[in-house]
Amino acid sequence: MDMSTEIGNGAIMDYFVSMLLIGIGVALLATGLFTSYFGAGKSQKIGFALFFLGIVTIAYFIVFYPLEEDIFIDALVSGVAALSGMIIGMVLILFVLMKVDTVDDLEDLDLEDLEDLDLDEELKKLEEELNQADEGDGAKEEEE
Amino acid sequence: MMDIAISMGLIGVMLSMLGMGLLIAYYGSSKTRNVGIVFLLAGIGLAYYLVEMDTSDVSFLNGMLAFVGGMVGGIIGIVVFLVAIIKS
Repeated sequence: MDMSTEIGNGAIMDYFVSMLLIGIGVALLATGLFTSYFGAGKSQKIGFALFFLGIVTIAYFIVFYPLEEDIFIDALVSGVAALSGMIIGMVLILFVLMKVDTVDDLEDLDLEDLEDLDLDEELKKLEEELNQADEGDGAKEEEE
Repeated sequence: MMDIAISMGLIGVMLSMLGMGLLIAYYGSSKTRNVGIVFLLAGIGLAYYLVEMDTSDVSFLNGMLAFVGGMVGGIIGIVVFLVAIIKS
């Protein structure tokens, strides 16, 4: 792989800006289509506007943008392949994480302690602590 | 074109492995932390392969420019959509 970091003449315009325009156009088309289909009233009108804006962006790119077809295909394949690779990597990681036993062993937990625990007694203790805290706050406010 | 697709696909997998591996290794529990470290090592291995052993003449910088451009464009499009919906 050519790891050269020298940016060639027009590389930013050819690769970055062309994919930027395509990204904006596709995102506007998708969101516009979604909003115009599922939206109602004002939202639907905004959806149509976004959809139209997306078509205009892509049409501008196709008609006016000075780019050779080979370069654009290279850029498109690069962008889509990298995105696909990231998605594949994420799916792989999630799959492995789901397969790995991530929960701590229950054997380590001493269940006898839980069985001996008197919940009513614990609840009463908590209520008493809360009451004491409230009384403490009330006394401070009266002093002020 | 296949060279570009394979090399850039591997770069995408490498980015996922390095990013997610770092997160899992740092924030994971005692069991998932080991998995995160394995992912990190896999990401480093992929990076080594792409830098040292991949013989294709695919330009890394051009590919990354295209990838980042597409991502930024998509984000801008979604931000425009959200602004339009929120302001309405």
